[in-house]
Amino acid sequence: MPRARLSPILMIGPAAGFIGVFILVPMVLTIWLSFHQWSTQTPFSTAEWVGLRNYEDIFSALSVGRDFKTALRNTAIYTALSVAILLPLSVLLGLLVYQRAVAGGQFLRTVLFASYMVPMIAVALVWSKLYAPTEGPLNQILGWVGIGPQTWLAAPDTALYSLVLLNVWQQIGYFTVLAVAGLTQIPNTLYEAARIDGAGPVQSFFGVTLPLMRRTLLFSAVIAIINAVQVFEPVALITQGGPAGSTNVLTFHIRRVGIERSQGGLGSAMAVTLMLALIVTVFAIFAANRRGGRE
Amino acid sequence: MKPWKALPALMLSCAATAVSAQSVEVSYLTHWSPETVALLEAAAEKYQETHPDVSISVRAVPFGDLLTTIRSSAGASAPTISGIYDLWLPELVRDDLVAPAPDGVASEVRAAWPDGIAAAAQVGGTLYGIPNEVNVYALNYNKALFAEAGIDAAPATWEEFTAAAAALTDAGAGRQGFGLINSWSAGVVHPFASLLVSNGGALITDGKPTLDSAEAGETFALYKELVSNGWSVPAMGTADANTTGPFLDNFVSGKTGMIIMANWWESALKAGMGDDFANVATAPIPVGPSGEVASSISYTWQTVVSATASAEEQAAAWDFLAWLNGEGTGEGDASAMSDILMSMGILPSRSSDVAANQDVLGRDFLAGYVSVLENARAFPIVLGGQEFTEALQQTLESLEYGQITAAQAQEAAQADALSILERAAR
Repeated sequence: MPRARLSPILMIGPAAGFIGVFILVPMVLTIWLSFHQWSTQTPFSTAEWVGLRNYEDIFSALSVGRDFKTALRNTAIYTALSVAILLPLSVLLGLLVYQRAVAGGQFLRTVLFASYMVPMIAVALVWSKLYAPTEGPLNQILGWVGIGPQTWLAAPDTALYSLVLLNVWQQIGYFTVLAVAGLTQIPNTLYEAARIDGAGPVQSFFGVTLPLMRRTLLFSAVIAIINAVQVFEPVALITQGGPAGSTNVLTFHIRRVGIERSQGGLGSAMAVTLMLALIVTVFAIFAANRRGGRE
Repeated sequence: MKPWKALPALMLSCAATAVSAQSVEVSYLTHWSPETVALLEAAAEKYQETHPDVSISVRAVPFGDLLTTIRSSAGASAPTISGIYDLWLPELVRDDLVAPAPDGVASEVRAAWPDGIAAAAQVGGTLYGIPNEVNVYALNYNKALFAEAGIDAAPATWEEFTAAAAALTDAGAGRQGFGLINSWSAGVVHPFASLLVSNGGALITDGKPTLDSAEAGETFALYKELVSNGWSVPAMGTADANTTGPFLDNFVSGKTGMIIMANWWESALKAGMGDDFANVATAPIPVGPSGEVASSISYTWQTVVSATASAEEQAAAWDFLAWLNGEGTGEGDASAMSDILMSMGILPSRSSDVAANQDVLGRDFLAGYVSVLENARAFPIVLGGQEFTEALQQTLESLEYGQITAAQAQEAAQADALSILERAAR
């Protein structure tokens, strides 16, 4: 083989091999297992081919299907709300802390980012106490301003939204830093040109800032979606999926089915469905972004 | 030979001696609290004094993570010994994760433990674990709140029970008459099952779910009545992964008048209530309209040995467990295990341990539990039992939060149970 052709193969080979072994093989294995009945603690050789039965079960009216669909819906709501709150809020906070002339901007950025660095176990412990329905500080504070106690994590109507709030609190610093990074890429000359053309702050924001942050926001949206879909720790540490399955999200449910109950085939079918949903969502966002860019 | 030339050989010799002195490592996985783990470690140290060739380490995880840890660490990294809930045994045996007990241990368990408890450690006639604790459910109530509400005695029937729940409830003061538990499968299902058997019903009979019975229908209706009248407030019953949380806090702080719980939570009540623990009393589960005698649900815990451990490790593990649960290794004639269990208010299951602890078991709180043990039914141990429990939990929580009616709950519970047990048998 000519040396010029051998060289790229040698350069790419190790990385491609690494990706193949640690990413592609597990993915293909999961897809293969999703068509089998298999107990997680037994060798792969014991897997029994069942065709599409696992997929039929997880979309059936039986408890296994009902729980999966609830978990899928909870994950979708959690993800959509997290992204819908995180992105605008991060831009807003980014605009605030980006003001270089304002004293304390750096300090504010550090404080905002600090919540992202706190380990989830500590966050879960603190927030479970903050949310305590009878003696929790949040309800006490609400009581001072005449608002009655809220159920927070203790009722199906509010538990998932309470977890979204926790997620936003923890992640907002990270996405604010991303927003600030995006803002630094916008040349000041564009704002000066807009000002000369008579644009006010609001027009500058919608005419200059937002369009030029498109790439940053696209990146933030994809990361926020992936992070939200992978939510696990607060559910495992605080709610265990309850009450009444209202916080049962897919990662927690797959762990319960695939590992606790050892139903590896069913768990794999759920994981494949989650993966497909995530791929479709991310592709849809990229497609929407491309269409927006052309317009 | 110069002395320094002999140094490597000397070091190798010392290392070899050290390795042979600690040649067998046994790990013990449990969900116990740090205080109880310290007692287990002390017992292990005592055992190692006479068995210097065995090194025992104890690892604890929250209850909510215990089964996952056992399953996910299966293989070379599996703990040699695991404390398990008896409901998990059939599936662990099916997956070849636990080793059968040696003949000597098996015959000892069959001879020294009550038949029903030894049966819970067996699958297909083979014994896989040494039972240690037995837990039974009873009605706990706050005597001070009862006196305040003018109630003289613990309710003996459902009629008296609902009347007491109504009298104890004070919505303005944030107090509920009866505490339901949610977000924890056993905490939801075991009290329901206790009320069901006290109403003459059963969850499963001869391997078939019987949640479509009239007795079960009355039990679902009782839940609906408790919630719809405000005598039970589901939002006050949340549990966390450590099986503590608001449901415990509300009983401890006098915001829950009655609750159905197992004896093991005595230590949590004592820690939370201090001197007020004297206000807690125990009574049998009230008898339902279709029941004849107060009954309850019991379940056991046992220690099993990993099937993936080496033969040497398995032998050391069984020897340690036989010693830990053996007569006379603790205070007096009791076993070391029973001393650990009694520190938490947990009833030991070995017959000689029960006899050795008669005085302690006679104290007010525990005596109420011991008295109901005779009529208690073992929670059904079947393949798919954990999934069955979690599905019933979901249904009960949906009923408690008003998402479905009692009739819908009963229909869904029976249909779920049928499909789960059928799938588990595939």
